[in-house]
Amino acid sequence: MRRRDFVKAVLAASAAAPAAMSQQPAAVTPATPQMTPPAPAPRAAGPLPWTRGLREVKPLPMTPLVPDAVAETLTGFFTDRQFASLRKLCELMMPPMKGNPGALEAGAPEFLDFLIGASPGDRQQLYRGGLDRLESEAKQKFGASFAGVTAAQADELIRPWLRAWMSDHPPTEDFARFINLAHVDIRTATVNSQAWSDAAVRKGQSVPNVDLYWYPIDPETRQETRPETRRETQREARSGAGSRAAN
Amino acid sequence: MTQETVDVLIIGSGHSGGMAAKVLTENGISCLMLNAGPVLDANKDAEPRPAAELPFRGFKQPGQLPHVFQANEFNANTWVDEKEIPYTYEAKQPYNWVRVRMFGGRSLFWSRQSFRLSDYEFKGKTHDGYGDDWPISLADVGPYYARVEAIFRVSGRAEGLPQYPDGNFVVDDRPWSGSMQRFADAGKKLGVPVTKARSSQGVDGLASSVNLLLPDAFATGKLRATPNVVVRELRVDKNTGLVNEVHFVDRLSRREMMVKARAVVLAAGTLESTRLLLNSGIANSSGVLGHYLTDQIYGAGVACSVPEARDGKAGADLMGGSALIPRFRNIDARHPKFQRGYALNIYSSPGGMDPKHFAAYGAELEQKLDSYRGSGFYTGLMGEVLPRKENHVRINKDVVDAWGIPVLHIDTKYTENEFEMARDAMETSVAIAEAAGFEVLAKNPVPNPPGYSIHELGTCRMGDDKRTSVLNKWCQSHDHKNLFVVDASSFVSGGWQNPTMTILALSMRASEYLAEQMRQGNV
Repeated sequence: MRRRDFVKAVLAASAAAPAAMSQQPAAVTPATPQMTPPAPAPRAAGPLPWTRGLREVKPLPMTPLVPDAVAETLTGFFTDRQFASLRKLCELMMPPMKGNPGALEAGAPEFLDFLIGASPGDRQQLYRGGLDRLESEAKQKFGASFAGVTAAQADELIRPWLRAWMSDHPPTEDFARFINLAHVDIRTATVNSQAWSDAAVRKGQSVPNVDLYWYPIDPETRQETRPETRRETQREARSGAGSRAAN
Repeated sequence: MTQETVDVLIIGSGHSGGMAAKVLTENGISCLMLNAGPVLDANKDAEPRPAAELPFRGFKQPGQLPHVFQANEFNANTWVDEKEIPYTYEAKQPYNWVRVRMFGGRSLFWSRQSFRLSDYEFKGKTHDGYGDDWPISLADVGPYYARVEAIFRVSGRAEGLPQYPDGNFVVDDRPWSGSMQRFADAGKKLGVPVTKARSSQGVDGLASSVNLLLPDAFATGKLRATPNVVVRELRVDKNTGLVNEVHFVDRLSRREMMVKARAVVLAAGTLESTRLLLNSGIANSSGVLGHYLTDQIYGAGVACSVPEARDGKAGADLMGGSALIPRFRNIDARHPKFQRGYALNIYSSPGGMDPKHFAAYGAELEQKLDSYRGSGFYTGLMGEVLPRKENHVRINKDVVDAWGIPVLHIDTKYTENEFEMARDAMETSVAIAEAAGFEVLAKNPVPNPPGYSIHELGTCRMGDDKRTSVLNKWCQSHDHKNLFVVDASSFVSGGWQNPTMTILALSMRASEYLAEQMRQGNV
């Protein structure tokens, strides 16, 4: 399309916009055959009240509930035996203390079943391998499942692998890596749980672990900025800036 | 359709682009700024929320932002998603490319550490024989540093160390806390200087292009800006050899557009600027475009406890504050295991301690956390990575981003020089901490992957010889005199210093030069 024709087409399309917005049947003949819009789908006569009144709605008197407040997480990633070992690990590493819920009360095992199930393969393998090893060592050493050993017996299996480490540098040996990363994950899943938050509030404390959350930042949802962009374009067009393009 | 020739087109809105816009517009030059991402408004785009209400309880969404160690569920939406804008590397040589495309770029999120390079960096080859000297010295950049420090309100104290040049500071003469004084005294006995840190105070806590630079530029009435446009290519007029067209794509509609410019200031951030030049096939008569990628090693350090501060006994003056150990290696004597040097950030913390620092769990861990609370003392490495020609980026034509633009392949790795330096940093930290009577709880001698510091430098380096450099000492392309690259891609070497002050000073210097060249009719 030649540029002059394109400009004409754009102007014609702009003229058509108000009619289209009011949902009237198309009444403007396109400037060129190339600009013909597809035939509109059949619709009811007259404007549709899709958004009428929404801007006047007052906020509902509700406090949204997180699902954890009322529902349990269904599990399915780990095998029953692996999940039983994970529950035991949670119970040991983060028991209820100081009026706070433990990992079990916080739903940490179920949340981690979901989280690890949604994670890349290397993280999944780290957990599966680690939980399987706890189970096999418990059977070999104590003749029982890891889920059934005493706290002292479990400590014999866990303690040799505990490390003091710096952020971003967990232990590199596989089993130590599992024990220490799982420990961090269990703590995080617990202290960031709704149950932990509820307990803090019950104790008269403020809601814990609050930080600045950034929503997706996309101008398609930012009506305030788009008209500015348009006005600039229109101002430039009116000032005849286009005629300087030959420079 | 609008079609005009703008005086100066600036690509990028971070520290370097913001400074260019401020300087050029204040010199009466009309500028158009293009930025690849949207405009941020923290009042609309963010709100305080508890982790318990987030979909992943504060965990980073699995599989998202795997190379942004700084990301979490709260800030995940502020980083560039590498699925949208990928890059490639050999599996054994990962690179953490940490990017922000919102208006203001990475000037929105940075540590505020504010240092000058010294002539141990500008003239490194002269000092130790390695690599290349910059074509400029501290004397050339000093006046610009001083002006930048005034704008950014850099706090600090004159230390009188040639490797840690003094500047135009908001004087920080607060006394050390007791623990910091002990650490400083212990360092002095070991020949390691412990100095005041230097930090941009900015205004209202923010020290960014969006509050310290761009408002001045817009106030002139000479700056226009377009967000959400991704520059695809710069084109050169074959007759004049000048860059004359900038082709870009609308981020949302993917509409292809073009604008003409008399001069182009490239300020897209080190690797994006170089990617654009490589994709455009320009400014590379030297063949070194993309080479000499360097950054700084972070991640090594120690976590300690000050015994007298445990069990709530710290009192008011023992804990708190920060300090800096500036480079001390390879100044007067040559270290046997590595070249150049590193600095250490030092922090004394009155807050809680990280459970990771204890090999304990359950009630035992809880007891330790209670006992050690308020006694934490930490060191963290910032070390120079030697610039090497073989560390480079190139275009991978087999992979494109969301707008069909070929991506970068990053081919870089650390060598024994960096690993030895990191090990020395940890060992020095341990030695000083133990001499101060602190308990070392955890230590790490291994640097984080390349890129982690978010200080990618070089790939478009400056120099006097156009056969071995891309830019001249004014950040001006040797090949196209109306093309200036004002971000950190011009760096010849990086030193240990956070590069922000140097980026700003060089952008200010280059932009004033450009303004003068335009006034004289040379550009």
